[in-house]
Amino acid sequence: MTEKMPTIVVVDDSSTSISLYQFSLEPLAIDFIGFSSPAEALPYLAEHVPDLLFLDIVMPGMDGLTFLQRLRSLPQHQHTPVVMVTSKDYAQDRFIAKQLGALDFLIKPLRFKEIRELVYKHAKIKPLGIEQSSL
Amino acid sequence: MTADTSDRYLRFWGVRGSYPAPFASHLGVGGNTSCVEIYADGHLLVCDGGTGIIPLGNALMAQSALREVTIILTHYHWDHISGLPFFVPAFVPGWKVNFFGPGDCPTEIEKRISGQMQSPYFPVEVETWLANIHYLAVGHDGIIKETPFHITNFNVHHPGTTFGYRIEVGDKVIVYVSDNELSFIDQNIKARESELDSQEWQLITAMLAEERSKALKYLENADIFIHDAQYTTADYTKKRGWGHSCYIDTVNFAIEAGVKNLYLFHVDPNYADSKIEELHRDALRIIAERQSTLHCHIAREGTLIDLS
Repeated sequence: MTEKMPTIVVVDDSSTSISLYQFSLEPLAIDFIGFSSPAEALPYLAEHVPDLLFLDIVMPGMDGLTFLQRLRSLPQHQHTPVVMVTSKDYAQDRFIAKQLGALDFLIKPLRFKEIRELVYKHAKIKPLGIEQSSL
Repeated sequence: MTADTSDRYLRFWGVRGSYPAPFASHLGVGGNTSCVEIYADGHLLVCDGGTGIIPLGNALMAQSALREVTIILTHYHWDHISGLPFFVPAFVPGWKVNFFGPGDCPTEIEKRISGQMQSPYFPVEVETWLANIHYLAVGHDGIIKETPFHITNFNVHHPGTTFGYRIEVGDKVIVYVSDNELSFIDQNIKARESELDSQEWQLITAMLAEERSKALKYLENADIFIHDAQYTTADYTKKRGWGHSCYIDTVNFAIEAGVKNLYLFHVDPNYADSKIEELHRDALRIIAERQSTLHCHIAREGTLIDLS
């Protein structure tokens, strides 16, 4: 029986930003799913709990903070690991995200390696051989 | 209805950012905080409830044709809600006041609006609002339809959840973005430029272009663009990350978007009239240099714009 691969979900309205995650995580044995808005992600997340969720803040419709508040109201997502990755570098946003249980709050742009390091740290995935020594 | 010039108009009741500035040197532009009235075909829409909404409320009490108002809030920082506890129509039976603002549902909007009137911050709570108070939810199509206004909200760069609004009324498009820091992501990318490899750089510059094009989309065919122009370059350098724009970024963004009229709004309460006139002259210089057809104005308290 094959072991289920960890699932990494990204919610970000920028398709280029989703590609950035995709390129970064390509070498890892994971399932990657990208959604371009909270409205698109909600039906999936109602049924699935990912191993890590990367969440943008400024998006069309519901913003990332409101989305996280709604997600936390679902019993299965009270402890889903969430990392905020945004261009909004404000103390108030950091505070709200922390109150809602976000594990990290990072400012765009992130490098490929930095995205992988977040996955190693929060989704407990074994680093690529070449990156093991740098962690 | 507070003006008798036309069936459709926009009027500035409060144009200052951060806190009221009732100083003699500031009154040419105005000292009240954010509040803009838009009237069309017997319906009244108000953007934000800063201290400017207090004289608007008093003017509404002096007329009898209208008994309903819809107030859309960009966010709940004090300079956008501190006039609401003194907005007389909300306390008067027979009036209907509709509210919309950031929040996952109408109950959440109510909670945020009522918070500032709770003891010990104010002597009476929202229970003393005897008007019919209604909290609106956004439709499934993402549009708030309060006839004759079609209103779309979008998220902007300012601490906490903050909305900008695109308001369509008749053939006119008004975009109201009171608080927004325009150049944030550009500067973040610039700061990391030397670290990025060529593939990362390619993707990140494409991401920047995508973000820019999305932001510009809300301004398509805008006749009137009311936007944060809080700081000079020198002050913005000190206050980067406070969630407001330098007027130069605002002017350049409006030129890029091709809007017809820009109103420099949410100006800093430390700036006297003479300083704002100076910024305006510089804005006109930039527009001329870029050979743009943009008309740039200072948003002044009391200015009335015909929308017909």
